[in-house]
Amino acid sequence: MQNINLKNKKKSSLFANFVNNVIHKPSPEVQKNFMDVSLKIAGTIKKICEDEKLIINIPYQGKNFWNKGKNYESCFVDGGVFSSVESSSAPFAIRSKSYIVKPTNPLTDREKFEETIAYMGDLYDSKNNIYDLSEDPYEDNQLLNKKKDAARIIFEIACLVKHVFDKQKFDFCFLHGPLQTPVMPFSGPEFPQFKKQVVKNILPFLNFDKKEEKINERHFINIYFQSIQFLLNSKFPIYGIVERTNSSVYLKNLLFRSFKKGKVAENDYNKMLSTMIRYKINDGNLFSLILSDCQALRPLEVDKQIPTRGLGGFSEWETQITSFPKIHVGYLKTNSHQAPIRVESLKKSKDLIKDYEYILASSKLLPNYGFPAGLDVVDKAAKIPAWLGRAAKSYYSKYYLDLAIESKNSKNISSALKMLQGGRVWRNRPKAGKVKK
Amino acid sequence: MRKIINLNTNLKNSIGGNSIRKISDPWASIGTILGQTSIDDYSFHLKKFKAKKGDIVAAEAKQPTGDGRVVEVIVWGRIMEIISSNEFLPNEAAKELTEGNISIQDTILPLTKNDAICTVKNLGYTTNDPGQKLSLMPLNYPVYPGGAVKYPASKDLESLLNTDMKGKNPIFIGNLVARRDVDVQVSADNMVSRHVLVIGMTGSGKSVWVRRAVRELMVKQYPILIIDPHGDNLGIVQKATKLFPNHKIKLFYPKISASENNKEVIYTLIERLGNKLTEPQYDFLNWVLTKTDYEPGTSLIQYISILIQKSNAAAENKRNKSTKSSDGPGNTGASTMGVVSRSLRKVYSKLKEMEQSNISNRNKYPHLKFEELPDPYSQPEKIIQKSQVSILYLKGYESLPSSTIVSILLESLFNHRSAGNRTIPPFFTVLEEAQNFIPSKSEGQDGYPSVSTIKKIATEGRKFGTGLMLVSQRPYRLDETVCAQMNSYIILRLKNERDQRFVKNTMENWDNEEAKQLPNFANGQGIVSGQITNLPLTVQIKFDDDLTNDDIGDENFISDVQNWKESSENKKKRELSKDFDEVFDVDKRKPH
Repeated sequence: MQNINLKNKKKSSLFANFVNNVIHKPSPEVQKNFMDVSLKIAGTIKKICEDEKLIINIPYQGKNFWNKGKNYESCFVDGGVFSSVESSSAPFAIRSKSYIVKPTNPLTDREKFEETIAYMGDLYDSKNNIYDLSEDPYEDNQLLNKKKDAARIIFEIACLVKHVFDKQKFDFCFLHGPLQTPVMPFSGPEFPQFKKQVVKNILPFLNFDKKEEKINERHFINIYFQSIQFLLNSKFPIYGIVERTNSSVYLKNLLFRSFKKGKVAENDYNKMLSTMIRYKINDGNLFSLILSDCQALRPLEVDKQIPTRGLGGFSEWETQITSFPKIHVGYLKTNSHQAPIRVESLKKSKDLIKDYEYILASSKLLPNYGFPAGLDVVDKAAKIPAWLGRAAKSYYSKYYLDLAIESKNSKNISSALKMLQGGRVWRNRPKAGKVKK
Repeated sequence: MRKIINLNTNLKNSIGGNSIRKISDPWASIGTILGQTSIDDYSFHLKKFKAKKGDIVAAEAKQPTGDGRVVEVIVWGRIMEIISSNEFLPNEAAKELTEGNISIQDTILPLTKNDAICTVKNLGYTTNDPGQKLSLMPLNYPVYPGGAVKYPASKDLESLLNTDMKGKNPIFIGNLVARRDVDVQVSADNMVSRHVLVIGMTGSGKSVWVRRAVRELMVKQYPILIIDPHGDNLGIVQKATKLFPNHKIKLFYPKISASENNKEVIYTLIERLGNKLTEPQYDFLNWVLTKTDYEPGTSLIQYISILIQKSNAAAENKRNKSTKSSDGPGNTGASTMGVVSRSLRKVYSKLKEMEQSNISNRNKYPHLKFEELPDPYSQPEKIIQKSQVSILYLKGYESLPSSTIVSILLESLFNHRSAGNRTIPPFFTVLEEAQNFIPSKSEGQDGYPSVSTIKKIATEGRKFGTGLMLVSQRPYRLDETVCAQMNSYIILRLKNERDQRFVKNTMENWDNEEAKQLPNFANGQGIVSGQITNLPLTVQIKFDDDLTNDDIGDENFISDVQNWKESSENKKKRELSKDFDEVFDVDKRKPH
C-alpha cells in the first residue's frame, strides 16, 4: 500500500512538472510592458497616419449597398494543392479555381465555379538541374516546401493571367492571398525549373515555340515576373486579399516615408525599427489597435522584392528581382474584433473608396470571419479533397508503374510497386493480441 | 448465361428486334448512387428538383439468381428523406442576411451549390426485360454505388403498382402523393375478404377513405353494413340515393333485443349498467333473470320493466311475511331485493335516456328516414342484401350498450354466414369509432361483448365473407389481438406518439422514416399497405365530394350562439333569482 502511494506521489509530481514546464505563463509585468509599448507605438503611428491622411472611413450600407453591388461581376480566385507522393518532385495535383458571380444574372448564369487551371503530375523539370539530391533531410524538406509554395503561387497567378488574357470584363477580381510574394527564397541554385509543358499550359502569353529558350527561362522567378508584368495590362482591378499577416511592410514603409520627408529623426527611425523587431510588432497587431470597424489605411506603394546578400554574394537573380513592380498595400478593418485584412494591388486604384466599399460589404456578409465571402467560397471550392487526392494518387501510381514496366528495369519496377504498396506507416504496426483463456 | 442471352435475343427478334425498348430506357436519370449501399436502402445525389420525398424511383442493377446466373433488374425504392445542404453558405452569412434584411439574391453568396442527398428504402426488384410483367420480388443483392437512379414514367409506375389487380376486382382509391399522375388501385377482393384497419386523428380523412371504399363497393353491388356511433356517414344516405338509384340505402336505429343464443349478452348488460351488487344481491338478480323468461326478439327495455315488477313483487311479498318459495333464493331479505330492484330501475332509466337521446338526434334530420333495426336473427336479409348499404345510427348510446347492440347484430349475421344456409350474401362491415367496440385490455373495459364477437369475425370471417373495416382515431386504445388480424392498413395523419408507437408495433416492415411522415400528412393523405396493395404506398385518397352532405357534418356553434334566443322560462328564472337575492340580502337570521 505504502509503495502504491509513493508511486502515485511520483506520478503526481511528474504531472505537476509537466504542467509547469508546458505552461509558460508570462509574468504580468511582461504583459503590461508589451501592452504599454504596443499602445505607445500605436499612438505614435496613428499620429503619423493622421498627419499623412492615410486613415479613411469606408461607408457600409448593408442592404443599400447590395442594391447597387448586385450589378457588379466579380471573380474570386484561389488555388488548391494535393501532394503526398514521396518519389515525385511534388506537388503532383494542383488546380486553381475561379468563382465568378454576377447577382443580377438569371440563376443559370448567375455564378460559375470554373476550374481555370488544373494539372496532375511532376511540375518541375529534372534536366539541367541539381534535382532532389540533397543529403540533408532538413534542406530537402525545405526545398520540397518551396517547390509546393512556388507551384501554388504560380498557379494562382496563372489563373489571374488567364482571365486577363481572355479579356474578361469583370468589375472586380480578387485573389485569396498576396498579389506579390518575395521571390528571394526561390533564388537558390538548387531550385529547379518548371517543365516546359507546364509553363506552356498555364501561361498562354509566354510563347516558347517561336523563340529560342534562354537559360532559366522556365524558372519560377522568371515566369512569376513575366506573369506579374502581364497582369499590369489588366482592364479590371485586381486585388490580393490577405487574411492573416505577420508582415510589417506597411509600418516600415510608413516610417521610412516619414523619415525621408524629414518628419522622423534618423535616430528615432532606427530605434523604432529595432523596438518593433524586439516586440514582434507587425502590421496586423498594430493596425488592430489603430483602426476601427469600417476604417481603412490608404495603400502605400511598397517594394516587396529586396535582394539580400547570401554567402556567395548576391544571387544571379538580383537584376530581375529588383525589376519587380512595386505594389500597393493597404489595410481594411472589416469588423470590430478581428485584425484588419491586407489589400494588395499592382496598380493604383482608380476609385479606392468604391473598391474598398465592395471588399468591406463582401466581408460583412461573414460578420465573424470578416473576410470577403467570395474568397471564402472559392477557398472551399479550390481545395482538393482527400478523396480526390487519393484517387489522383492511385492514378499517378499506376502511371508510374507503367513507366517502370516500359523501362524493363527490375529496380524501377520494384520501386514502383513499393510506391503502390505504400511506405512505412504507423497503421502497419503489428498489433499485440491478448491470448484468450 | 448463354441461354438467357439467347432467350432475350429471340424475344427481341420475335417482337421486332431492337425497336422494343427495355422498360427503363426512356426514364429520366435523376441522380447517382453514393458510396455504400445495402439490401434495405441506399443514398443518392439528386439532380436539383428532379424528385421529391415519397417518390418511387428506380435503379438499374444486377441480381444473382439461385442457379448462378446474373440478371439485369430494376430495383424499385421510395425516397424516404432528402437532405439539402450548401457547404458554401456559412451560418454567419445567413445571420447577416437576416439581420441586415439583405436578399441573398443581391449578394455574391452562391445560390446554386445546394446539394440534395436522398435516402431510398428499397421495395424490391422487377426484371428488366422487354415485355415482362412488373412483378415485385424481394431484393437479394444491393444496388451498385455509382449507378444511375431513374425517374420511372407514370404508366410504368402505374403498371407496377397495379400488377395482378385485374383478377382481384381493382378499385380506384386515389393517386400517389408524390405523383399525382399515377393512379392507385387496391384489390376489392382482398379488402372484403380480409380486414382493413383505418387509423388517423380527427380531420385526417378517415371519412374520405370510408366514402371512397363504400362507393366503389356499391358500384360492385356489395352489401355493406356501417356501424356509425356519431352519424359520420349520414351524408352518404341522401347523395348516394341519387347517385345509386338502384341501391337500397337503409338507415337504422337500434332496438336492443337478442336471440335465444345471445341471452347471456343481455344479462351482462343488466349487470354492468346497474349498481355494483353484493353476493346475496347478485344471487337474487340471477334468480330473477332465471325466473323471467326472455322472449327472443323483444325489446330489452320491456324485459327490464318486467324484471323490476318481479323484484318489486318479491320484495313486497317478503315484507308481508309471505313465505312463497318462488320469492327468491334462500333467505334473501326484502331490502336485498329492493337494492336489486333499484339497480334494475337505474338500468331501465339509463337505457330509456339513451333511447331518448338517440331519438332527439334522429329528429335533427327530419329529411332522413330512420327505421328500427330488424331482428338480425330472424330477418337478417333486411339488413344484408345485394346492392344495399345499411347504416346503424348509434348516436346517444353509451359505449357498453353500443357494444352489446353491435355484438348481438354481428354475431347473428356471422352465424347466418357460417351456417352456410345462404340466407344472406357475403357482406362488408365498416365499424366507426372501433375503440368503443374493441377496447384494449389496458383500457380496463374487459367484458365488452363486442370484443369476442369481432375477434371471432376477424379470425374466421375470411372463410365466410364477413370482412371488417375498423376505423379509429385512437389506435393505441384498440385490442391488440383484433388488430393483429388486420391484413391491410390505411394509416392517415397521426400526431399522438402512443398512436405512432402502436402503428410501429403492429405493422411489419415499418420503419422510423415512415413514422416521421405520419404527423405531416394532409387531409386524405396516408399510407396504404398490406394485402389490398402490391406495395406500401403513400396515397392522396380521392375526395368524393358528391357523397358529402352540407347539412350534416361539423356543427356551426358560433352561428348557433349568434342566433341564440333565450327561452321565456330562463328569462323569468333570472328575474326571480334577482328578487330572491334581495330577500336573502336582508335576511338577518341566516346562519353564518
